[in-house]
Amino acid sequence: MTGKKIHSAKKRRFINNTIVHTVLAVLAVIWVFPIVWVILTSFRAEKGSYVSTFLPQSYTLDNYIRLFTDTSILNFPQMFMNTLFIAICSCILSTFYVLAASYCLSRLRFKLRKPYMNMAMILGLFPGFMSMIAVYFILKAIGLTEGNLIKLALIMVYSGGAALGFQIAKGFFDTIPLAVDEAALIDGCTRWQIFTKITLPLSKPIVVYTVLTSFMGPWLDFIFAKVICRANSDQYTIAIGLWRMLEKEYIDSWYTCFAAGAVLISIPIAALFLYMQRYYVDGLSGAVKG
Amino acid sequence: MMRKRAVSLLLAGVMTLGLAAGGLTGCGSSGNDGAEKVRLMVWSPSEDQSKDSGEWLQTCCEAFADAHPEWDITFVYGVMDEASAGEQVAQDPDASADVFMYANNSLEPMRNADALVRFGGKYRKQIEATNSQDVLDTLIMDDNLYGIPFTTNLWYMYYDKSVFSEKDIKNLDTMLEKGVVSFPFVNSWYLPAFYIGNGCTLFGEDGKDEAAGVDFGGENAVEVTNYLIDLAQNPNFKIDDLGSGIAGFRDGSINAMFSGSWDSNAVKEALGDNMGVAALPTYTLNGEEKQMYAYAGTKAIGVNTHSDYMVQAIELAIWLGNAESQRLHYELRQVVPCNTELLQEEDIQKDELVMAQNTTFSDTSIIQPLVNQMNNCWTPVENMGKGIRNGSVTHENAQEQTEQMNEAMNSDGIS
Repeated sequence: MTGKKIHSAKKRRFINNTIVHTVLAVLAVIWVFPIVWVILTSFRAEKGSYVSTFLPQSYTLDNYIRLFTDTSILNFPQMFMNTLFIAICSCILSTFYVLAASYCLSRLRFKLRKPYMNMAMILGLFPGFMSMIAVYFILKAIGLTEGNLIKLALIMVYSGGAALGFQIAKGFFDTIPLAVDEAALIDGCTRWQIFTKITLPLSKPIVVYTVLTSFMGPWLDFIFAKVICRANSDQYTIAIGLWRMLEKEYIDSWYTCFAAGAVLISIPIAALFLYMQRYYVDGLSGAVKG
Repeated sequence: MMRKRAVSLLLAGVMTLGLAAGGLTGCGSSGNDGAEKVRLMVWSPSEDQSKDSGEWLQTCCEAFADAHPEWDITFVYGVMDEASAGEQVAQDPDASADVFMYANNSLEPMRNADALVRFGGKYRKQIEATNSQDVLDTLIMDDNLYGIPFTTNLWYMYYDKSVFSEKDIKNLDTMLEKGVVSFPFVNSWYLPAFYIGNGCTLFGEDGKDEAAGVDFGGENAVEVTNYLIDLAQNPNFKIDDLGSGIAGFRDGSINAMFSGSWDSNAVKEALGDNMGVAALPTYTLNGEEKQMYAYAGTKAIGVNTHSDYMVQAIELAIWLGNAESQRLHYELRQVVPCNTELLQEEDIQKDELVMAQNTTFSDTSIIQPLVNQMNNCWTPVENMGKGIRNGSVTHENAQEQTEQMNEAMNSDGIS
């Protein structure tokens, strides 16, 4: 009697698992589909933006090679380096801004604390590109819209408002017991030392998260780069380059290269994530004794 | 607080640097042999400046500098394609090029921003002497001439000579009996060709009368809608969308398509010697032959009203638009010239592409209206094309749907 029950429970679980896994597999295929398609297209040997078959008829590496060698019209290597430089600089700056602001709001008590948080919340409700034209004219007035200074301008634009996005990091800092800070204070730590030597090592996951998001913002941004770069083609970022490849004059011959470029831009993000992934797990482990 | 101070310090630093740099250049001695120092910023598409396609812009600008020893010119080149130039110049004329190339459909925004120089006097006479009135009309607003045309901008027909004869290509329905034709049915730059062919009008006779509105309604428009519904169901007719036309040329499944000079190299590659180019065909509506008409525009060279070196900028614009520059443009990049003297020359007369483009311009096109109201005319027509494609527009509701399209084209979208 009991044996039969166990058997049927096992059976039911098996059926349940089969259904769940089939549904998940189907969903996974649907979700990964577009990415697989872009990767396949990037290796496609047939030209043009439209093909009648799903799988390419023949494969080639030429699209990648062309991206890096045919630089006379769309200089992809230069755009890649421009974007990398801008993204790294703004990543470092905005990570610092976000973490520093979060720490202050989490640990320090000052008169403007509440008003600042309210203001940040309200400002955060407006889309960033609302101020795009105004930002452009301000940058132009201080002479940052010509030549290499455009890079500086873009770094300022991407990192300048970063401190408004403190909410998630502050929430994390709030979970670290205040007692740890107090103990450090008694032992003679300054605020800065507490921040760098205690809070940050205890918050690796959120540091990783902040670094990743603040790298991806400038790395993928199109709208500000487009407004600020204008006719300075030597300052173009990848997003502008990829967009240009889809214009009516270029789309037919550049479409497969566009797919190759789209694959390539995911590499730095993936690399950064894989490198920082291990810190995700570390977190609070072993730091606070129970 | 710290950060704010740091940023403002940084800004102050940058500003001082900027000022210092400005001051330094300001104090520079004035050139060799007393030649006037001139700095001209020129915008063009990147192909005009790339080594692979012969550096047309640099070549022409240097020739211009050589022809004017009285000026010591420094050229600053920027990359801006004709389609986006209008918007960019209108947005900030002050920081835009002195001389730039633009597509004439952006004339209105630039005029509103007071960014375009009007050509008058001897310059205008010079331009008028070497261009047809049709071409000039695309750049004239309220009797003012706003640019020097250097090419026409429109679409026409590519076909496979092994499938269609010279006689077949005169009529779309004859073509459909002999081969597969592809047309950008859901693109509102192309679809109105059928409506205009049957007497529909946009903003009066010359397309400049905003008050006259659009006439895409009435019995004649409904007839066209009915024709289009049948056309879309014809098995030999394929809708060209997202590049399917050119892909069909490559694998041989399509024998004729409608596009412009930007696709000519790809078509040449796909069809080789069988490539044919022609002006638009007629189509047969209730037994009568109706001509299709494309929207036509031009690309022109404009001069910025904010230029510090007005005389030099205008002279350069004229130079870039003259017969020699157009010939070089044609030789290096196959940009179809529009200079009337150049078009008389023998080798250009022989070029099928040039002839097809110019015949289309003069015979089977209307000037794309430049009035602001035109902005409301794109989406309704596109929706009509899509409705016919997905079967929601049928012979039963064709009348009603056509009236709705007409109404939408005449409203400003905010009602």
